[in-house]
Amino acid sequence: MSMRTSRRSALLAGFAALAVAATGGCATGGGKKAPAPTISSGAQAQVSGTVTIWSWDVAAKALKRLAPEFEAKHPGTKIDVVDIGYDNAYDKITVGLKSGSGLPDILQVEGPKMQSYIGTFPNGFYDLSTLAAQYKSQFNAAAWRTGSDDKGKVLALPWDIGPCGLFYRTDIFQQAGVDPASIKTWDDYVAAGVQIKEKTGKKLLVVDPTGDSTFGMMLQQEGQGYFKDGKVAVNTPEAVKAMTVMKQLSDKGLVDYEKGWDALVAATKDGKVATTPTAAWWSGTLTDEMKELQGKFSAMPLPAFTPGGIRTANNGGSLLSISAQSKNSATAWAFMQFALADSANQVSMLKNEGIFPAFDPALSDPYVTAPQDYYGGQTVFKTFADLAKDIQPVEYTGDYSKAGDLINDATTGVMQGGKDPKAALDSAAQQIASATGRQTVS
Amino acid sequence: MTLNPHALRRLVVFAVLAVGAFISVVPFYWMIVAATHSNDELFHSPPPFVPGGHLITNLKALEESIGFTRVMVNSLAVAVIYTLGSGLISAMAGYGLAKYRFRGRGLLLGLVLTTMMVPFQVLLVPLFQMMSNLGWVNSYQAVIVPFLANSFGIFLMRQAFLDFPDELIESARIDGSGDIRTFYRIVLPVVKPQLGALAIFTFMSQWNAFLWPLLMLNSEDKYTAPVALYTLVGGTHVDYSGLILGSFLATLPLMAIFFIFQKQFVSGLLGGAVKG
Amino acid sequence: MAVETVPPTANAGLAPQGRVRRRGRKSFRVVHWAFAGPAAALFVVFFAYPLCASFYQSFTNDSGGVQTWAGLAQYRRMLDDPIFWKSLYNTGLLLVFQVPLMIGLALVLASVLNNSWLRFKGTWRIAFFLPSITMLVAYAVVFRVLLKTDGGMMNQVLGWFGVSPVDWLNNPVWARVSLIGTITWRWTGYNAVILLAGLQAIPREQYEAAAIDGAGPWTTFRKVVVPQLRPVILFCSITSTIGTLQLFDENFVLTKGGPDNATMTPVLYLYKVGFDQMDFSYASAIAWAVVLIIGVLSVIQFRFFGSSERTAKDARATRSERGGK
Repeated sequence: MSMRTSRRSALLAGFAALAVAATGGCATGGGKKAPAPTISSGAQAQVSGTVTIWSWDVAAKALKRLAPEFEAKHPGTKIDVVDIGYDNAYDKITVGLKSGSGLPDILQVEGPKMQSYIGTFPNGFYDLSTLAAQYKSQFNAAAWRTGSDDKGKVLALPWDIGPCGLFYRTDIFQQAGVDPASIKTWDDYVAAGVQIKEKTGKKLLVVDPTGDSTFGMMLQQEGQGYFKDGKVAVNTPEAVKAMTVMKQLSDKGLVDYEKGWDALVAATKDGKVATTPTAAWWSGTLTDEMKELQGKFSAMPLPAFTPGGIRTANNGGSLLSISAQSKNSATAWAFMQFALADSANQVSMLKNEGIFPAFDPALSDPYVTAPQDYYGGQTVFKTFADLAKDIQPVEYTGDYSKAGDLINDATTGVMQGGKDPKAALDSAAQQIASATGRQTVS
Repeated sequence: MTLNPHALRRLVVFAVLAVGAFISVVPFYWMIVAATHSNDELFHSPPPFVPGGHLITNLKALEESIGFTRVMVNSLAVAVIYTLGSGLISAMAGYGLAKYRFRGRGLLLGLVLTTMMVPFQVLLVPLFQMMSNLGWVNSYQAVIVPFLANSFGIFLMRQAFLDFPDELIESARIDGSGDIRTFYRIVLPVVKPQLGALAIFTFMSQWNAFLWPLLMLNSEDKYTAPVALYTLVGGTHVDYSGLILGSFLATLPLMAIFFIFQKQFVSGLLGGAVKG
Repeated sequence: MAVETVPPTANAGLAPQGRVRRRGRKSFRVVHWAFAGPAAALFVVFFAYPLCASFYQSFTNDSGGVQTWAGLAQYRRMLDDPIFWKSLYNTGLLLVFQVPLMIGLALVLASVLNNSWLRFKGTWRIAFFLPSITMLVAYAVVFRVLLKTDGGMMNQVLGWFGVSPVDWLNNPVWARVSLIGTITWRWTGYNAVILLAGLQAIPREQYEAAAIDGAGPWTTFRKVVVPQLRPVILFCSITSTIGTLQLFDENFVLTKGGPDNATMTPVLYLYKVGFDQMDFSYASAIAWAVVLIIGVLSVIQFRFFGSSERTAKDARATRSERGGK
């Protein structure tokens, strides 16, 4: 009898121990409650040991390339770059932030997503304010904004940016008799599109019905995001203006709808469209995947809403942040400084991996200002470098993704469902407001 | 010569099969086409319809970019261990549920049932937290252990054991055989077809598992094949040839396993009463 | 048949009841749990806990990193959420159109494969089974390319017959058609293989008897095949229904739920809410709504199934009688 009891209780005890270990007393699955840790600049801890970085794609390649140099400079360090793939990178990072565990020292995060993370997990990252202050004036202001919270606390260091311009096919423009210099406003752009379509049968641009960045780009040109002072701002007069341009493009049959990145690349490669309003990094895709089209592309600033208005926006761009779970923040910071706040390394990443630097000093490098063979000797990088200064910092908030999904529905509704821009945006604003518990601006 | 009804019937049968098989297999044919072309050639319009000559180049690139051989070995190890472990646990639980009446049996059955209804996505975060509290992150046990108790397997095995005659167990007991000995000497050999079917099923599900291994594994040399293949999908660049070649090659072992064990698979799924 | 309810007397006489203690059976009692124990422990630790955690989470609000009790607020929000309702509507469409289509096609394939004179059965079978073992990443790439509007293979082939290009993934109606098509492509063969096994379990003599009675193929199908196959068809229907209610993979890789949420399903939506928008409380509430719906539908189907179980048992009894002859 006692034999059985002891066996059973041993089993129970073991089981209970396993259960407690597994659940760790964290009964609710809630986020981290501790405030964001800070790295103090004075007591600079020793730079040594291993730093793990999650990154993807060419960005991971760039860091892997730079790591040995850093390790040589700081003996006793090891930089471990893990390519976690792009498609599900944020699943992995979100789960780590949400559960307060499992994250590496350094995380690559894109700008808007960084804002979402800062809103949702304000204590998930090291507070870099003190250390990063010295660099504030050297980084692009709009990019800097994506790495800080509303009060200016710095939680990430900008890596690259995507100053937007209008890539266009010089040969198609010529054939249609359109002078690129005549396109100053979006109205000019639509008019040029009509002419191009009449003369060549080509469409003007590609729009992705499952998630397009054109509308957001236009909004940013007008100096706003989906939110203003914490309120939903997707149905402001500016937003309606931008959506009306989208509607015109669609009504006049100037849009080639293509789902996803590859379709965009393929459509461009096949010469189906005359222009691509997008960011500087698109250049990497052109030179890599459309070598045969050398000499046929050029780039100019985006059309403005009013003559003399802002002619660029930001699309894409990542930052590096130190996760609050890092045990080696000092070394992590040292590596971030080395890779990002360094002109030579930033330029080398532009050269080798096509990553457009958010670090201003890198933009005056001869490599950036030189004429480029691919663009028939034009200084396309310089065009974008100059535009970068005009990028308007905008408010993303933690609800950016939520709003983005609903805005996308509205865009599809207007462009393909024939809805009225104002009505569609009003209804989107209502839905965003009720999903986020925010008020609307108007 | 006119067709007699018999021949006509055969013709119809063949037509149905041929159309069905064509639709099923044509995407695989396209995978072979894509896997043997360069990424560039793939996006020409019209796309290629016959295999190209880039197989070796693509293979080399795949090996270099993600260490294809290594990740296949990883996948194989994880899937085999999972299959054996979950097979044993399912068989035991199925036997326990079918042949013993103990307190909490109903509760356990209920729990098994609920697992089938709950969308896995919502369990990710708490489960992740547990793995991390256990210190299992970036280990294979985190990929394997939480899913060792597999509700489908338990149901399947319980069904198999329900059909097993009680008299045999009783007579083994009278002969002095202990419960555990009876289980693996007398009972288990009889349900081999079901175990085989279960093994194929669990092997496939683990082999193709993506989201959980992705969340759990943090170093590239531990990646399983699906996780590694997904890293080829970049933000602005997708290595299609590599992706398709890799996933095609990764499907081959499953095809082989199904081809060899298909009789066990189908008969096992239906309780072993069927001779395929 | 993986799913079946136990008749309560099935094991009478073998295992001691509940609390009744008998001498000489002490170790036996540990053994009861020893078999089911590991599975039970694993379920409790790795399933029950996350389950409770998500259930609790569905009654909270965790914006700004702070979790607060919110009562039924998330559930109320769900009732007013047009996307949630649209996802349910889409699921309903799939249940009404896709599941019967797939089971029907699977039945046709299975009956055709069951012809005794047919050769290379194994090869046919694997051809039909192939889609269900494809890796998701391959599935994603293949169909995105096949269904591309411009230059996609599907439209190329249609073009040969003079059909103008179809906007497979970007038009709400066609996106649904594509989704139905690709789910059917992936799972028909799998169901056919299972149904085939069921068909092969029907003894030859029954067909012969029907033939002697002068029954044509259709009558044979109705009078012999359908009743015998009922439990297997129901098994396929139940698993397909649960699969549809939990649909995620196919629309995630093909359309991400778009366009205009025409292919959104509850599980994809909860994934978006949780992982894109990082609102895990609301995501948990949606998950529990899904559990509730599956639970209710399963109970209904189990009832249905339970009554048909007798048919299967009778069939089995008949079979063994004949076999014992």
